[in-house]
Amino acid sequence: MTKHVGMFASAQHSNMQRRDFLKLMGAGGAALSAGSLSWASRAAAQDAATVAFWATATLDIGDKWKAFATQNGVAPEFTDNGNDIGPVIARLAAGNANDLFDIGGFQGGAEKELARQGLIIPWDLTKIPNYESVWQWAKDIPYLKHDGKQYSIPTVVNADSIIYRPDKLGKVDSYGVIFDPKLKGRVAMEDAWINSAIFTAMYLKESENKPIVEPGNLTESELGLVMEFLIKHKKDGQFRTFWNGWEQGVQLVADQEVDAMTGWEPIVYEGRKRGLQVEYAAPVEGYEGWGNNTVLLKGAGDRGVTDTAHKFVNGLLGGFYGCELGQARGYLVPTDNNLTYAKAHPDEYKPDEVGKLAEHVKAKFAGKVYWQNTRPDNFQLYEEWWQKLRNA
Amino acid sequence: MSRARLPISSMLMAPPLLAILAFGLLPLIVVVVWSFWSWDPVTYWIKPDLSLAGYAGILEAGRWTVIVSTLIKAFGTALLCLLIAYPTSYAIHFLAGRRLNVILLALITIPFFTSYLIRSFSWRLVLGRAGIINDWLQAVGITDAPVDWLLFSNFAVVVGLVASYLPFAIFPLLLSMRRVDPTYLAAAQDLGAGFWKGLTTILLPLTKSGIFAGFLFVFVMVVGSSTEVQMLGGAGASIVSVMINDVMRVANYPMAFAISTIVLAVIFGLVLIGNRIFGLASLFEDQSP
Repeated sequence: MTKHVGMFASAQHSNMQRRDFLKLMGAGGAALSAGSLSWASRAAAQDAATVAFWATATLDIGDKWKAFATQNGVAPEFTDNGNDIGPVIARLAAGNANDLFDIGGFQGGAEKELARQGLIIPWDLTKIPNYESVWQWAKDIPYLKHDGKQYSIPTVVNADSIIYRPDKLGKVDSYGVIFDPKLKGRVAMEDAWINSAIFTAMYLKESENKPIVEPGNLTESELGLVMEFLIKHKKDGQFRTFWNGWEQGVQLVADQEVDAMTGWEPIVYEGRKRGLQVEYAAPVEGYEGWGNNTVLLKGAGDRGVTDTAHKFVNGLLGGFYGCELGQARGYLVPTDNNLTYAKAHPDEYKPDEVGKLAEHVKAKFAGKVYWQNTRPDNFQLYEEWWQKLRNA
Repeated sequence: MSRARLPISSMLMAPPLLAILAFGLLPLIVVVVWSFWSWDPVTYWIKPDLSLAGYAGILEAGRWTVIVSTLIKAFGTALLCLLIAYPTSYAIHFLAGRRLNVILLALITIPFFTSYLIRSFSWRLVLGRAGIINDWLQAVGITDAPVDWLLFSNFAVVVGLVASYLPFAIFPLLLSMRRVDPTYLAAAQDLGAGFWKGLTTILLPLTKSGIFAGFLFVFVMVVGSSTEVQMLGGAGASIVSVMINDVMRVANYPMAFAISTIVLAVIFGLVLIGNRIFGLASLFEDQSP
């Protein structure tokens, strides 16, 4: 166990060790081949069971990684990547991320771009036996494959819609509520085109029959249509604000600044904890599905740790991790292995709750879902339009 | 004597000069140079070029209006801060006794112990629909319903900015007031000058370097701020640092550097002009006989 604690040192430190070790391998190959059980061979054993995991904080299970390492024989050194795909891609392409990290955990959508640039390498599914247990609809997330190769593994999935006050609005089942003039100044959206553009596009496509093919990847003209619509509503004073981050989102609801807003489901739970009547809508236009997917970084291949990386990802889908993430944060790993694990360890996790969470998310995905896309083809145009919206 | 001192003083000056060059000037030069490079979609990074695309982009999507509105916000906030800071500093330095002086200084310093995020967030609780002010306005019958423009508006942003950066105006003013020889004011009083006469003819001219330093500190801080605007501004409210963040997210680095260059040029120009008019450097001059 002491060894594992040591493994949770910074990723940079770990990879320095790994590089140093590779140098040692070259210089001292003869000594190693002589079968000496030296410091270097012990270090090799330790290194073989370590991967540098660079992911969204959502995927971190903190102290529980030790138990994960014990069960799966591989320990991650977790580093928060900030969950902002722009700087993440930049650091992979032009920075040192591939020198430091083995596996990435990113919001879905950038895989195609990363694969095209050779910054990530494909997974070998034969080395991830637990992938079989992943639910089919999660396997069908459109960003997982590129050129027929599996570049990412769905690790956490959920779907977002509208948080609303039923005591003020009754039952809400459409994004139309966000654009309803009667609610002028009583609604909000997130200050992020990644989410707000797709929500608006879904509404325009499904409820106003506008010619939009894929709300998560808008063409130039579709994007113009969507953003002009948002700009018009902003000019009309429709939005109280565009919110940023968890606490701001909660405060908008808790302090009754808005009656409805697009946002994350955990805000509903937090609102309820504060005694508010808050609901999460099941919109007729569908949910915005999102996945936090794990990718194999090119650096892992260069350093020869891909087998360990596969072992690690297999562990993520093994059940324990899903139970822990669900219990700690309410997020779901899309596999029945969670429930199997909870049933086998009822003293650690409540099978009822694990099952309930799974059914809740599955029910969302039983209907219409459009997938969040962190890197649409026209991503720079999205930013330009978002500036126009800001300045309108 | 001076010949012998020269090498020693040069040696003593070298480390801080090198540090300023390495940590101050060099990054600024890099920012300016990179603003003329172009983005390479293949490497996802910038490549050497002599392109004005980053600057041209500023003229699109209303980005230039963000720069202008940021400068106006910074100018207005700095002026407001000075209007509050000057009498405050005067009271602390000339009117308060030693004990009260310490208490007032502590009260001014306390905001530094909390983060900008917390400070801005607490203004939401004060200015919001269910906030303290709206509750009070309704309780005393001034309004029937919550006043919406108190929060998520330019008003809220300015309140947040002034509250955050006021100490940056007070401290240089205090410093400059401490350098005013009290006998000047006493002499003016003896000669029959009233408060306003003493203020306008003696105190204000003698503290002009502190006034400008306070203005400059607040101005620069506001130009680089983002939390107050994002937390307290209306839908999509922007400021230069938010805009830079937005373009960095989509890898438009040349434009981010171009925006930064323009802001740097404005601030640098302001420092030069201020130093010429207000004698900023005199604030740090040695007064010892």
